[in-house]
Amino acid sequence: MRTSSLLPKKQEASEIPPPSRRTVKGGYSQPSRARLKFNDLLSKWTFLGPTTLLLLALLAYPIFYTIQISFSELNLATFAPKGWVGWENYKDAITDPGFLNSLKVTGIYLVLALPLQMVLGFGIAYLLNVEWKWRGLVRALFLIPMVVAPVVAGGVWKMLLDPLWGIVNYMLGFVGIGPLNWLGDPNLAMISIVLIDTWRWTPFIVLIASAAMLALPRDVFEAAAVDGARWWHTLIHVSLPLLASAIGAVFVVRWLGAVKMFDIALAATRGGPGQSTNVVNLYIYEEAFRSLKFAESSAMAVIVLVLTMIMTMIFLRTTKKLEDRF
Amino acid sequence: MSASTLTIRKRKVDAGRWFRIIAGVAICLGFLLPVLWMISTSFKLPTDIFTTPPKIFSTFTMDNYTSYMQQADIGRRMINTVIVAVGAGVLSLTLGTMAGYALSRLNIRGGATIGVLILASRGVPPIALAVPMFLVARNLGITDMHITLILAYCTFLIPYVMWLMRSFFAALPKELEESAMLDGASRLTTFFRIIVPISMPGIVSTLIFSIILAWEELLFALILTNRNAATIPVAIAGMAADTENGAMWGALTAVGTLTVIPVVIFALMVQKHLINGLAEGATKG
Repeated sequence: MRTSSLLPKKQEASEIPPPSRRTVKGGYSQPSRARLKFNDLLSKWTFLGPTTLLLLALLAYPIFYTIQISFSELNLATFAPKGWVGWENYKDAITDPGFLNSLKVTGIYLVLALPLQMVLGFGIAYLLNVEWKWRGLVRALFLIPMVVAPVVAGGVWKMLLDPLWGIVNYMLGFVGIGPLNWLGDPNLAMISIVLIDTWRWTPFIVLIASAAMLALPRDVFEAAAVDGARWWHTLIHVSLPLLASAIGAVFVVRWLGAVKMFDIALAATRGGPGQSTNVVNLYIYEEAFRSLKFAESSAMAVIVLVLTMIMTMIFLRTTKKLEDRF
Repeated sequence: MSASTLTIRKRKVDAGRWFRIIAGVAICLGFLLPVLWMISTSFKLPTDIFTTPPKIFSTFTMDNYTSYMQQADIGRRMINTVIVAVGAGVLSLTLGTMAGYALSRLNIRGGATIGVLILASRGVPPIALAVPMFLVARNLGITDMHITLILAYCTFLIPYVMWLMRSFFAALPKELEESAMLDGASRLTTFFRIIVPISMPGIVSTLIFSIILAWEELLFALILTNRNAATIPVAIAGMAADTENGAMWGALTAVGTLTVIPVVIFALMVQKHLINGLAEGATKG
């Protein structure tokens, strides 16, 4: 498997000869150059045009509209932005303790969940990476948590973690832990959210990591084994460097998913208790659609958008470097 | 090395192998437990749900599927979810596949920049699109319609499809379409006659993932629908939040089971394609 960069490669101009030359070589009738050029352009636009239009209308336009609203006041009678208020909404946003708290909560969630899921995912994949008749079946079963809708995951785990009737506390009782008020205690609630998210997303990492491990060259490991290398030496000096680019790529994909965290928090805790699990997407949603503060929430959304973009670019650069190094 | 040390070593390796297999299977079952518990709870009577110690076996009942379903209009929501998920999946697959092909093959000026933009757009938090979409849909009077939700889902599905299919097409040998085009076939004909058929495994797994992503989407469904086009995730969010009438675990697990089972069956049927597609999508650029 090629585990090259997530960044697209530069298009090589020499790769595809212009159709004109090809047609001439093939000995077919020679339409005029202008006509070929027109055909070429036409085919490019039949392929790319509809998507470009749709994404401009549905993705680019809303982003600009959000930016516009974030600098205006929103008329709640017409639901249209009016007037220019400068950075007013942004000032409101960054002095809003709820918003700042939601950024902090999101940060805690990301810092806890991403490394945990990466380690668990690659660890389980390593464990599963043995020749066995039923390995394919076990891997297929790992697909199941991944296709459980996040909102279902949140709701069902809310039931499992229930302090009175939940099965988790019941089972922990056998080893002398608890009963714990999973979703009722502010600190534990964050742990619970991370736990639910980890349950839902680790299988995804397991599957990708398994594929990456299957693609590793066998002879290197055999050589290491013949040399009598200990398993942790093999892990640190052989496996991890070989897997570096896959790890980077999986991390970026997982990051892109994790910053959208919304459904699980909404279903399991609705941001509570207090504000302890109020991730930023949930907070902005409530501000916009419950409190109808569209202008302020647009400013918050723009801030989140910019932060996400910066972080994504940093991660992409880092994975690119990681790849070049190994 | 003498023969005896070799056997010892072999035995050690064997023990390690079985330890790993058993641990792997145990972990896998652990991950499945919540789903199994959800399914079993959906067939329990309330008295067996709210009891301690939790009952694994209880009187079998379909009540959760019959009584609540009708009052909450779950059937209609299920149909809505299917319409929206399949509609959004097919639309984004068609457009995204063609655009992905253009990016990988048609020598587009600025193709690399477009590639970065697609990837960046996968990082756009949906909440940044939510307010304008709501306002525009409201002003155009198209809230609570299937097509609105389908278009909203295209914002994240098309970049996703483009990304996957672009790398898929880039890995295909160029000779395929070159010979067809020498025979005078147009780009479009070549694409549909030659490229699409041989790309079917990639296309199918991408389509399934797209449908699953649309199937479980919540945020846009919450803000763009209220009655006519509301999807199942909206209903589940409502049930999970509703604690005033006592927790509705029976109904919640029943609807959850109905949502999850089709996707699980679907996913297991094509698991080979899915796992391959997943791995390539994540690591191939």
